Amino acid sequence: MPAASAIKVMVVDDQASMRAMIRRALQDFGFKDIRDKGSASEAFAAIRTDRVHLVISDYNMPDMDGIDLLRAIRTDEVLAKTVFIMLTGSSDREIVQKAAALGVNNYLVKPFAPAALKEKIERVFGALT
Amino acid sequence: MSALAARRIAIIQGEHAVVREPDAIISTLLGSCIAVCLHDAEARIGGMNHFLLGEPQADQQLRDVDLQRYGVHAMELLINAMMKAGAERSRLRANLYGGANIIAGLGGIGSANAAFAKRFLTTEGITVGQSDTGGTLARKVEFRPYDGKVRCKTVADRPLPPPITPRIPAGCGEIELF
Repeated sequence: MPAASAIKVMVVDDQASMRAMIRRALQDFGFKDIRDKGSASEAFAAIRTDRVHLVISDYNMPDMDGIDLLRAIRTDEVLAKTVFIMLTGSSDREIVQKAAALGVNNYLVKPFAPAALKEKIERVFGALT
Repeated sequence: MSALAARRIAIIQGEHAVVREPDAIISTLLGSCIAVCLHDAEARIGGMNHFLLGEPQADQQLRDVDLQRYGVHAMELLINAMMKAGAERSRLRANLYGGANIIAGLGGIGSANAAFAKRFLTTEGITVGQSDTGGTLARKVEFRPYDGKVRCKTVADRPLPPPITPRIPAGCGEIELF
């Protein structure tokens, strides 16, 4: 069982309020090392210099969206195996298929309860302690 | 505000509308709920939402349908719809209405809604222009998205629609990938 406190997380969302809400939920689950960025390009640059185990990213962002970030991570030699959970306001089939084809680890549609986020994380990492 | 408005769009709790037509008017009737009007003066795009309550706490076990009521998501939907229509986030200006404490004994839910909305807009760096919140009376809000003009008046004699279960996106909260 992985300790949540040992998992480094990057939260990516263009809305500061959403980032804060996710951060609070993660802290409640026991995560300690939580970083966040307001754009996919900033997040990608940040995790290239300081790797994380888990990226939780919004889909709908201006410029570089969540799919672009997922593609960038999966095609990066060093970051390719980073766990990626996508958040979106839409369950659009095309986006889900695209994300799945690119190797997204899980997918959550907003608005979600904090418990649903925890469940998605645990499906990838196993039960958190 | 023109009496010859080409199109009136009435929204209720849990809904939002974004328009760029010159004569369209978005309207709503508010009690303790909040309506945020966003406007991009350069693109001449405006939008309004109507939501109830604030952000959920991390330790709350809420059904997804409940979360739709919460402002964080309602605001995200409105902002995203504005940007999709061609607005620039950095140009967005907000007006804020509602949040009345109409029913005594509900712990100032209207005030909590208004406080949430103000905090959200501050956090997101969106300037608030006009703000008419609080009190004990319902409000009718009419917003002309094209030029950003708003008319808000209290209505003591209009019965408010009861709180409703908001519509939520299909598959909300859950998609089984694996």
